[in-house]
Parts: sequence; C-alpha cells; structure tokens
Amino acid sequence: MAGYRPSYLTVFLTFARNSLVRDMSFRTNFILQCISTISWTVMNIGFYLIVFQYTDSIGKETGWGRNEFFVFLATTWIINSLVQTFFMPNAQQFSELIRSGNLDFALLKPIDTQFVISFPRVDWAALSNLFMGITLLCYSMYQLTTRESDPLVLDWRVLLMYPFYIVCGTIIMYSVMITLASTSVWLGRNQTLYNFWFYITNFSRYPMEIYKVGWGMALWVFFTFIIPVLLVVNIPARIMARPLSTMNSQMWQLAGFAILATLACLVLSRRVFVRALKSYRSASS
Amino acid sequence: MATTATHQPCVRSRMKTWWTILKISLEERFVYRGDFALGTLMRFLPIITQVFLWYAIFAASGKSKIEAYTANGVVAYYMLTMISRAFSSMPGLCNGIALQVRDGEIKKYLIQPIDLLGFLLITRVAHKLCYYAIALIPFAFVFFLCRGFFENGWPDPPILLAYSLSLILGFLLGFFIEACLGLVSFWFLEVTSLVFVYNLLNFFLSGHMFPLDLLPEWAAQFVYLLPFQFLAYFPAAVFLGTIEAGDVWRGLAVETCWLVFFILLARIMLNRGIQRYSGFGG
Amino acid sequence: MPMALIELHNLQKTYRVYHKKEGLRASIKGLFKRTYKEVQAVKGIDLQVEQGEFVAFLGPNGAGKTTTLKLLSGVIHPTSGTATVMGHTPWHRENDYRRRFALVMGQKNQLWWDLPAQESFRLHQQIYGIEPEAFQQTHDELTDLLGLRDLLSQPVRELSLGERMKMELTAALLHNPEVLFLDEPTIGLDVVAQHNIQQFLKYYQEKRKITILLTSHYMKDVAALCKRVVIIANGQIQYDGSLSGIIDETTNRKLVTLQFADPISDSLLSSLQRFGTLVHLEEPRVTLGVTRDDVPAMLTSILDAHDIDDLIVEEPPLEEVIAEVFARVAETSSTQRDEDGVA
Repeated sequence: MAGYRPSYLTVFLTFARNSLVRDMSFRTNFILQCISTISWTVMNIGFYLIVFQYTDSIGKETGWGRNEFFVFLATTWIINSLVQTFFMPNAQQFSELIRSGNLDFALLKPIDTQFVISFPRVDWAALSNLFMGITLLCYSMYQLTTRESDPLVLDWRVLLMYPFYIVCGTIIMYSVMITLASTSVWLGRNQTLYNFWFYITNFSRYPMEIYKVGWGMALWVFFTFIIPVLLVVNIPARIMARPLSTMNSQMWQLAGFAILATLACLVLSRRVFVRALKSYRSASS
Repeated sequence: MATTATHQPCVRSRMKTWWTILKISLEERFVYRGDFALGTLMRFLPIITQVFLWYAIFAASGKSKIEAYTANGVVAYYMLTMISRAFSSMPGLCNGIALQVRDGEIKKYLIQPIDLLGFLLITRVAHKLCYYAIALIPFAFVFFLCRGFFENGWPDPPILLAYSLSLILGFLLGFFIEACLGLVSFWFLEVTSLVFVYNLLNFFLSGHMFPLDLLPEWAAQFVYLLPFQFLAYFPAAVFLGTIEAGDVWRGLAVETCWLVFFILLARIMLNRGIQRYSGFGG
Repeated sequence: MPMALIELHNLQKTYRVYHKKEGLRASIKGLFKRTYKEVQAVKGIDLQVEQGEFVAFLGPNGAGKTTTLKLLSGVIHPTSGTATVMGHTPWHRENDYRRRFALVMGQKNQLWWDLPAQESFRLHQQIYGIEPEAFQQTHDELTDLLGLRDLLSQPVRELSLGERMKMELTAALLHNPEVLFLDEPTIGLDVVAQHNIQQFLKYYQEKRKITILLTSHYMKDVAALCKRVVIIANGQIQYDGSLSGIIDETTNRKLVTLQFADPISDSLLSSLQRFGTLVHLEEPRVTLGVTRDDVPAMLTSILDAHDIDDLIVEEPPLEEVIAEVFARVAETSSTQRDEDGVA
C-alpha cells in the first residue's frame, strides 16, 4: 500500500456525487436556487433590453451591438456558472474552515490539500446558469449568423478557441477566489470575501472598450495586467461574437497574454495558499 | 401611579440591558477591522463600472438625456442608491436567524429575558452605526470627488428632511423584511435560497440595478406597488427631485404602512415559530 | 540508540494573539493600533513514545495538550524544536506519513453533516486509497464492534453525540493507522457512551498493538486505558511515568476509613484527628487522611483501644491527586509570570 496515489478523478466524482445526494435531500431548496439563478439571468436580459431601447451599441463604434453583447453576456454566465458550481461553495467553506479550525481534517488527508479544499462541494443548482448561458449563446449566434446584412461566418478555429479561453477564464477566476479565501488566515473572519469577489469580478462583466476613455485606461491596465479579470470574458466573447478578421494585433497580443496570465495566476494562487496553510493556527472548536 | 412606579425601573433596566448589548456588539464589530476597511473601500467599485457603462451607453446613443436622467444624473442616482442600501441592506441577518434556529441557539432567547427581534434590531443598529462611523469618511470623500455628477446641488430643506425620513424608514423596512425571511426557517430547514431569491428581486425591483423610471410604463406601474422601491429607488429619487413634492409625502405614508405590516408579520411569525419549536421539544 | 516511534525534542509553539482590551474606547483604539501578546502554548517539550504504548496527556485547560497533538499531526508548525513520528517530521505533511496516522477530536467533526456516515467512509476509502476488500473488512469489523450497523444510512446530523463520536472513530480507523491521536474523545458524552468508547479503544489497541496518544479530562478514561501518563501544564511536561507513580510522587497520604461498632463521641473524634485530617464523617464511619508512614502506628493504637467493624486503607482518588499537581504548577507559574514579562 505504500506509495499508493489516490485517484483524484475518483475522489472528485465522489465529491460530486455526495454533493448531489446532499442537494437532493434539500430538494425545495435546490429548485428554489435554480429558479433564482434563472430569474437572475432573465433580469439581466431585461436590463439590457431596456438599455438597448435607448442605444444601438454599448460604447461608440465598439462593435458591441445587441446580439454581439448578448454573446458577451452569455459568456459571462457560462464562466460564472462554472466558478459558482465548482469553486464558490468551496472557497466560502474554506474561510469557514479556517475560522472554525476544522481545516485540521483537510490537512490530515494524504492527498493534495488544495485539491481537497477546492473541490469537496459541487453546487449543482448553479449549473442552471450554464444552461441559460448556452441557450443565450446559441440564440444570439443564430441571430448573428443569419442576419441579413453582413452575417457572421463561423470559423472552425473559433470553435476551438472559445472553449479553450472559457477554461482559461475559469482558472483565472478560481485563482483570484482561492487567493481571497486564503487571506482569511490573516484577516480572521472574512465576511467580505464574497463582496470583494463580486466587486472585482464586476469589472469583468463589461466589454473592455468602455474603460478605454480618460482615466479609465488606468483601470483597464490594472484589470488586464495586474489582476487580469478583464481578460476572462472579453477574450472568448470577442473571438466568438465578431469575425476573426476584425481582430487587431493588440487583441491577438492580449489573447496570447491571457494564456500567460492564466498560468501566472494559478502559480501565484498556489503560493498564497501554501503560505496561508503555514500561518494556519487551528482554532480550538 | 402604582403601575408607573413598578414599571419605571423595569424600563430602565431594560434600557440598560439594551445599552450593554449595543456596546458589546459595537466592540465585536471593531475587532474585525480588516473586514471593515476592505468592505467599505470595495463598496465603491461597482459605481465605477456603472459610470463607464452608462457613459458608453450615452456616447453610443447620441442622446443627452434618457428619461429624466442625464449621464451625470444616472451616476448621481447610483451613488445615492449606495446610501439607500447602506441603510436598508441587512447582510447576514436572515441567514443568522436561520442558523440560530437550526443549531438550536435560539433557545437562548427563550430562556433569557430578551426579546429576539429587539436584540437583533439593537445589534443591527450597532452594526450600522459602526459602519457609518467608519464609512462616513470614505463616503464623504467619494461624494466630494463626485460632486460634479450632482447637477442640481442640494435639495430644499423639507425634501432633505423627507430624504432622511425615507432612509430611516428604509432601514427599518429592510430589517423587518429580512427578519421575516429569517423566521421562515422555523418551517424550512434551509433558507439560503430564499435569501438569494429575495436579494435578486431586491436588486432588480428596488432600483439598485437601474433607475425604475426607465422601466416600460406597464412594468413601472406594477413595481411601484411593491415595498422594494423604498429600499433603494425611493430615497434616491427624493433626493434628486425626480419625484414631485406631493408624491414624496404620499410615498412616505405608503412606506410606513409597509413597515407596520412587516413588523406585525415578524411578530406573528416569531410567536408561531416558537410555539412550533417548543412543540418539537427543541 | 534506536529511535523511539515518536520523539519530541524541545518542541515549542508560540502564538501571537491580538490583545483585546476591555471597553468600547479601547476597541476603537484597536482599530488603528493593535497590541499583540505572545502566548507560549508549548514551552519546550521532550518526549519519547515507543511502539504500542497508550499514553495519556493530562493537564488543565490551555496547558498545551491539544497543541502538542496538533503539532504531532502536522496541522500546525512549531516555532522551534523537532519532532519525528515513525521517521517523519509531521508538519512536512508527507502523504506517506498522513496515511499512517489518524487524529480524532471530540470537539470537531469531519463527517459530512447532511449525509449518511457511509458516504463519508467511502470518500475516505478513495482518499486513502484503501483496497476494496481490506476496506470492507475493516469497515465491518469496526461497525460491528461499535454497534453502528443500523445507523450507517442515517444522515450524520440526526445521530446522537455518542453515535457521532463512534462514527468519527470509525472514519479515523478505516485506513488502519499505526498511530492514533485522540483529543478529548469522550467529551460531552454520557456515562454509557463513554464506557463503550473506552472498552472499544482498549480492545482495539490491545489487538492491533497500535500507538495511541490521548488527552482527556475524564480520569476514568485515563485509569481504564493508559499505563503511562504525561502531565502537561503551563506548556511543559510536569510528570511522565506510571499512573500509580503520580500518586506516590505527589502525595504521601492514604485515606483510612474506619467503621466503629459504637457511636463516635466528640472526644474520640478529636483524638482521631491527632493522626491525620478529617476527610469525611458519616456515622458510624469516619475517613481520615493520614501520612503514609503514620498509618501502621495509627492502626495499632486504634485497633487496641476501640471496637472496629470494618477498615479500609486506600489511595486518595486520582482526580484529587491530579488537581493537587495542577494547583502546585499554577502556584509556581504565577510566581514565574512576573519575571517572564509580556512582550
């Protein structure tokens, strides 16, 4: 038995299964959660439908017309739902474990601690957002490719790059989240984790072009190069919603940078996590 | 006479208890200053994205005014909803009650001579006071920086008075609505999703997401009937003067009615819940 | 010299805690400037434990027992000093080490609250990579021994405290750990559950010859299970030896209970008190605390002069002796504290 490595996939599947069993034992709650998630997306669409009553695009000559923007919105939801399904409940749980001292048990397990912290809970209800995202994506892509003037032609490279950048974006979000959650070790009770997370990712919800006016450039630089949340949705959405031929060289450079940023975020968050564990004090009960 | 004589020390001792509770929770709040400082700072971030979003929308639309709002007006509106929300939002209240019911900690209030709702209200006041004490400086700073967005300057004193009233009522209304939600946990084991639904509806229907005036006529009619608008939209609109003076006072009256309704509802729910709870033998 | 299974050398752990002052004004001040206080939870512990020992850690609250167990299980890092358990340094948290020990804490639980314990066990199997047959065998053995068979499919939140503790024990033992750390495993349990767990631990340890370190407040646990007792107080080891040794070392008193045939007169009582202190009086019995060396002389003189129906000479109860040790430590430490100073 010495040197036996647990199968991370099997363990993850058991996590997922256990979460499902748990979710199903609170069925009303589960359904309510699905409904609320879906109503949130509906409200979002409602809001932007109102906005597009007053304007044709978000920002002047940015190319984010109604349908293009809905592709953007769908991408936001898809990435958000992945983060909320797989990581959000765990990051919150992590802070709680630190506070209550129950992190002890995770540290005892002969398996990577970051793994056992990052995945034990799967919030299945949050997947309904993924469903809504894909629906909206399909709808707006259909609108874009079949419109009368200048229909969008889907390139096969786009179909590869889009999911790839979705994964990159999810990883960036995960890294930011686990880093934030780790700070609970030093800050004590970290109620603001969720807010902080919300406020930072809030910047990622809009096309990056809107920041490129006046002092917004500073924000653009900060959230592109320092905390690269602007890349998360913008890169895949941009690639999907508009013809590749209109991608300028800066956009391509950013797309390349996004890969680098993903790796950097992952490595950095890992280091913060390990340091946090070293400072962990294990509260007694 | 006799009744008042026996009554007074009781009231005084009760006031003393509450003062102690207030003090303790203030202390507790101050201990977690890391949270506090971050929380206050972060609150302004969404405003920034809203500014950029709306400037982009106005730039692309080519209009100078959308309904009653200029681009600056919209920003001013969002900033004012921040103040409204600083009063009416009750983070953790509902889940806190639910957790206490679930863990059986609620028994404490059944044994000790403290009223649960009163206790929670006092701790919440402490929480809020503490928040304002710390948030005042950054708020004032940001509002000073952004004074250019307020094209009409300060409103008249009576409107300012109505505004303050609407904030205080907003605080109480927010508290009792969430308390009611929390008390649902006597019947449902987990109310997290209920809170989530409430927060969502609240975000949209209170006008936190966008000024309610932008809604199409039919939707606006409906939304104005609900209590949510008092949690964000109403105070902001009063300040900006987009509501006429006569409607302001009528609005406050309607808000008071809602408040009374939710106070009564919370009382009834608490009594019923406790009956049910002790029926189970805890 | 061959290494013991568990070796600690001058192990120290210091916490820096935020020093909260009383009062509102001080709290507000704390917003801007915080004062910290160094708390030495463990002040240099040296200890060797051999394979197959069952050792109890005794000590008052906050003495450093739990901290020591946490250091040994690698949950926290020490400030200085070394420790090896089965050749591993615990806080390096190597998987090879983590597969070979288990920690059970009476105050914390690791099972999924809303799921049947069975599901958590299965998760354990996968995380620890336990072969299915071996898992099934251990699982059946443990659940039978602890009488848990019928409870396996109930959500953990519906179990009683005692049942939950047994489930926790099962979970911890599924991977056949060679070393087991138990932190207050019987805390808050009723007498029956306490007894069950004691019996189980005794049986299991004798059968598997595993090494167990236990902290407990219940002297009954200790007396039933452990031959070796380590008293930790004030972050240091105050005593390390056999249970009976503590009694010999700390007290030279015996309890002598006499049952007189005749009623006990006041003059008899006062004459008895020449031999020792009166502990308990309940006609016709009287219990006296007598210095060990004086016991024979006392007995001869009393047996000569009085009609005695019954006679018991016994050690003072363990609780009392331990309390005496703690009290002595508290005394010395309070005189020390002034010299230590506060950083």
